[in-house]
Amino acid sequence: MGQSILESLNVQVEGSGRRILVLAHGIGTDQSAWKHILPYFLRDYRVVRYDLVCAGSVNPDYFNFRRYTTLDAYVDDLLDILDSLGVERCAYVGHSVSAMIGILASIRRPELFSKLIFIGASPRFLNDVDYHGGFEQGEIERVFLAMEANYEAWVNGFAPLAVGADVPTAVREFSRTLFNMRPDITLFVSRTVFNSDLRGVLGLVKVPCSIIQTARDVSVPMSVATYLKNHLGGRSTVHLLDIEGHLPHLSNPDLLAEVLRRALAR
Amino acid sequence: MPTPVSTARQCLTEEAARALDGAVSVAKRRSHAQTTTLHVLSALIALPSSILREACSRARRSAYSPRLQFRALELSAGVSLDRLPSSKGASDEPPISNSLMTAIKRSQANQRRHPETFHLYQQLNSCQPSISAVKVELKHFVLSILDDPIVSRVFGEAGFWSTDIKFAILNPPTISRFAKTRCPPLFSGNFSELELNKRGFNFPFPGVVENVDENSRRVGQILVKENLRNPLLIGVCANDALKNFVESLQRGKIEVLPKEIYGLSVISIEKEISEFINGGLSEDRMRLKFIELRDMVAKCEGPGIILNYGDLRVFVDVESVDAVNLMVSELKRLLNNSGGKLWLIGAVADDNSYKKLLARFSSIETDWDLHLLPITSSIEGLSSRSSLMGSFIPFGGFFPLPSEYEPPSTSQSSTLCNLCKEKYAQEVSVLKGGPTDSVVGQQSENLSSWLQIAERDLSKSSGAVEAIDDKTVLDAKVTGLQRKWSDICQHLHRTRSFQEENSPRSQFLGDQPSQVVSVLKESTRAGSLLDEGRITNLSPCNSLDLQNKLKPVASDIDANAKAELQVQGWKIHQLEMNVLQNPSRAQHNWSLPVDCTLSPSVTPVTTDLGLGTLYACAGEERRNFNPKEHYDCTPYFSGSSRTSENTSHQVAQSSYCSYGQLEKRIDGKDLEYPWKVLAENVYWQIEAIRTISQTVSRCRTGNGSSRGSDKRNVWFSFLGPDKVGKRKIAAALAETIFGRKGHLLSVDVESQFEIRVCNSIFDHQDSEYYGLKKCGRKMVVDYIAEELSRRPHSVVLIENIERADFLVQNSLSQAIKIGKFRDSHGREIGINNAVFVLTSRFLKAHDDLFSGKVSYEFSEEIISDAKNFQMQILVGSTSGSYSRNRTGNVLVTPSKVTAIPCSVNKRKLVNNESTKAGMPKRMCEMSRSNLDLNLPIEEMEQDSDIDKCDSESNYEVWLEELLGHVDENVVFKPFDFDSLAQKILNVINFGFQKVVGPDNFLEIDREVMVQILAAAWLTGREKAVEDWIEQVLFSSLMEAHQRCHVTDSVMKLVACEGLVVEEQFSGVCLPTRIILN
Repeated sequence: MGQSILESLNVQVEGSGRRILVLAHGIGTDQSAWKHILPYFLRDYRVVRYDLVCAGSVNPDYFNFRRYTTLDAYVDDLLDILDSLGVERCAYVGHSVSAMIGILASIRRPELFSKLIFIGASPRFLNDVDYHGGFEQGEIERVFLAMEANYEAWVNGFAPLAVGADVPTAVREFSRTLFNMRPDITLFVSRTVFNSDLRGVLGLVKVPCSIIQTARDVSVPMSVATYLKNHLGGRSTVHLLDIEGHLPHLSNPDLLAEVLRRALAR
Repeated sequence: MPTPVSTARQCLTEEAARALDGAVSVAKRRSHAQTTTLHVLSALIALPSSILREACSRARRSAYSPRLQFRALELSAGVSLDRLPSSKGASDEPPISNSLMTAIKRSQANQRRHPETFHLYQQLNSCQPSISAVKVELKHFVLSILDDPIVSRVFGEAGFWSTDIKFAILNPPTISRFAKTRCPPLFSGNFSELELNKRGFNFPFPGVVENVDENSRRVGQILVKENLRNPLLIGVCANDALKNFVESLQRGKIEVLPKEIYGLSVISIEKEISEFINGGLSEDRMRLKFIELRDMVAKCEGPGIILNYGDLRVFVDVESVDAVNLMVSELKRLLNNSGGKLWLIGAVADDNSYKKLLARFSSIETDWDLHLLPITSSIEGLSSRSSLMGSFIPFGGFFPLPSEYEPPSTSQSSTLCNLCKEKYAQEVSVLKGGPTDSVVGQQSENLSSWLQIAERDLSKSSGAVEAIDDKTVLDAKVTGLQRKWSDICQHLHRTRSFQEENSPRSQFLGDQPSQVVSVLKESTRAGSLLDEGRITNLSPCNSLDLQNKLKPVASDIDANAKAELQVQGWKIHQLEMNVLQNPSRAQHNWSLPVDCTLSPSVTPVTTDLGLGTLYACAGEERRNFNPKEHYDCTPYFSGSSRTSENTSHQVAQSSYCSYGQLEKRIDGKDLEYPWKVLAENVYWQIEAIRTISQTVSRCRTGNGSSRGSDKRNVWFSFLGPDKVGKRKIAAALAETIFGRKGHLLSVDVESQFEIRVCNSIFDHQDSEYYGLKKCGRKMVVDYIAEELSRRPHSVVLIENIERADFLVQNSLSQAIKIGKFRDSHGREIGINNAVFVLTSRFLKAHDDLFSGKVSYEFSEEIISDAKNFQMQILVGSTSGSYSRNRTGNVLVTPSKVTAIPCSVNKRKLVNNESTKAGMPKRMCEMSRSNLDLNLPIEEMEQDSDIDKCDSESNYEVWLEELLGHVDENVVFKPFDFDSLAQKILNVINFGFQKVVGPDNFLEIDREVMVQILAAAWLTGREKAVEDWIEQVLFSSLMEAHQRCHVTDSVMKLVACEGLVVEEQFSGVCLPTRIILN
């Protein structure tokens, strides 16, 4: 696969540093979401960015509805990319679903990761007994129905909600990337994500983790960050950002960059 | 918002418009409010020979007859339409719904990218640059309709896979054999080459087997490994996944397993184990079971046996350790003696149980040769939820549930190896009696599905089969043959070629590699069409984006022009203001006659004047009019007289006189004056102020002489403690140099990262006096650049410079060297008139000063936490513990929150230790202690030792370099809170004894003391706090004393948690009254 996956998933390597930093985006965005964060790290890192197969910027035909039924397939992609690039050790920053992917990847290949940083991460989005993930099953079904019925309207409604803060450019950017995704893929990936439950495996993560959590995130309640911290197997810290929204890298990049830099330095 | 039908029709070709009309009429008939994609679908189906029908018949995968499946499609479309609410007042032409309009737009974009028509649209675009000029052909219209999730749900319900249909539409029927010659690659250049690259092949479909869920596939992959081959599924859904895997094995779905281990059988001893461990089964019976198992493994002829021991939780939860021990060791023995023919499989729900297991059996991982497999989702579990099931229908084909539409023969024929296939083909043709090598490629669309598949698999015999008339008889016979050969095949030839097995698409289209290549090429072409279509499709968003990109460029140009204009405008405005101000003040003291005659004459001159000096001059003048200060400053005004005429004269003079003259006068002597005022305000930093004033006069005089050629910006660094002092001095600097406080632009690089204390006494102060605004969500560099371009004559105060981010670092380094400040977009702003003040808590050269701080009772850190709370006096009677041997009657008591001093001490310790190790480490230490309160202190210490990484040392280098370039490094002394506290206590003690009496005691809560100290630090008047003590505290104490009528009492001055000070005593951040209980 070597060459091909790098092309198919638009893998980009930039920067002049010695160490390697992987920036992985979440659902509804693509690697362009990191563009404001990127400049901060070019000096000290070689920054690897790629698109998840579900991103709007990837040829939708690559999205195999049979293969991408679990997050493991995404993990395969990530590991394939790192292997193709010859990466032996890297720091990994994952947003939302990519945080889950990072967790699984580090369980499979702990030696590959020196540090995991999660932004807006959650091991499970649905509520359960003794667990508050932030979403009720019924709620989610309604969201999916809305998504099915009129994708554009849903995007326009959801984007400001996800961005949270009043940053029109960020909302516009997120709407753009979200709308770039093919509706059926968005729906399918969302289902995959909501169907995933990482709670049982968090303890297998041995890599040090940083959890970056904004003060108000529509997708991830504060309790989830605490849950992650308490259950992750490695040494983990929580960084609280005094801003709102699920997409701090779009809405408040310089603050996030600074926190990332510190988290990475640790 | 729905779109009128006529608008939508304009986007379509005639053919497509007809389809749309059909849809509109369907919507009308059903009196629906809007025409949706569903209506289009139903209209398309209704047409007797539509492109959709044709594509469906080619893409069909099910065992049902085409007629039946079409009927199903019609029905499910009808049902979906029935679900739509009908509206009463339906119009003649139900308007086009959003989703349909989106689909149309999508297809427009799609089609525009289509190479066949590309040139046409290029030409069109040249005169009409919008994609709405594209008339959508039916094919593309249908394609984009299929993208709609509602539509694909309908197809799913009818057993179609909309992707297949799309594929069929994109590929004309003739494609199967001669694709390569008939359809040249549509995208020339590297794209098609890339996709032709064999290695590229695998990416979209690496080893995906139809009909097998991901979890089971992964389990299978582990089983074929050399070592670590016994999967232990872990995760919340692990048990479901295990059940799913075992069941599908038991049901005989062999494709679950990789081909190497086909025929693996599975034995579950789950029940026995749990019974045995819980005491339901005797040990002998259990041992018997193991012996039985051993025999089975020994006798096993196939690849082996998977032993399912079920949920590991029973091993962990149970009390009887012996039973578990026995199980673990027995299983280990069994495994070791099996000779590679035994696998173990099990599941555990969470890592905690697994850890417990490891704690109990530390070697179990190697003994059992375990491979941990995290399972994070469960298909089975999901589909069992009825609420979800409904909505999963759109993906009917995607989930590995046993699908009723799946032809039973598919898997069978696909499991045939080449050799068997040939034999099978021979027999089939013998059955038919025709020649085996007859015509190929005349494919009949009437063949039933499995035959079609067989035909594709055995392309040689297909021609023969096809010729038969009596299909039903033949069907049966061929099925029989197929079964027979697949059985033989299974027994004899377990190896099959990769392509056959794995790639559904390649199988679908035949085995010839060349064909596969061309087909894949097709598919990627189709994909790329969609892909690119999606991008152009978003023209509104994109054009917005484009605008955004263009904007900076435009504003860049603008900024330059504007900056110049602004400078001029400012000057004029400023001068006018000053001139106008003068008369208004003058009215009281002097009669200044010239307001209107002056201003016009001033305007033309302003452009020639150096701005900085003008402001300084204005500032001087304003002070001049202040009667109180009048006496002080007049001596400094060389040549100015004390009469009213002279003042007005001076205004005129300053406007008319030459720049050089003015500059000299003000910079020479007069500058001293404001510094004196400042020195009164910030009395504790006299040395620093002296240094600063000298530097300012040095730099600015120097500038005056060689104006324009040299750099005219001034750089300071304020190092050391005393945040408040620094701010005050910076503000005074702005006032002195540029004439107004408004010219202070202050940015705290750190503030946005801090979790700020609520109700801090500094909050109020910050916003009120220093114009400290949060830069909001802008990047710091952008904020500074923007403000500077608006007000080039500013003092830029950047606090906590040591924590500046990378961009700020770069910009500052550049600015100090070449005098241009760059923002994040690369735009540069001239900073020639600005004064930069960079502050840092750390000193390089004076570490001793810093570390000395630890001994203070009230450190700056503690004072910075001061709250702005209301105060309260509580009165109680003296308890015995109060003896008279105390020197004073007033003492400070630790506040309720005793943790504060103690934790501070601990932190300080950390800091203290690290100071020895040098500056950068301390810096990161400090930042850590601020940011991560959730990290235990010990860990922080550890960390700093481990990671002293590149970026930190980079920081050190950068800071050193920057500080080397500044005009003056000013070192600040720490504010001596302790002696101030002592002084205040003395004052209070003295007064208290006088007012209340020597028999009483006053306890001042530490928190209150901190608040008083903070107020003293912040205030501009040295005496303000003493005034407050006299006027507020003592009167309150007196009143409290009178109220309680006790001779010897203990009074407590405490803070009211949560009650913020409303009214402030003049000039100091303390409450105007104290609450009495």
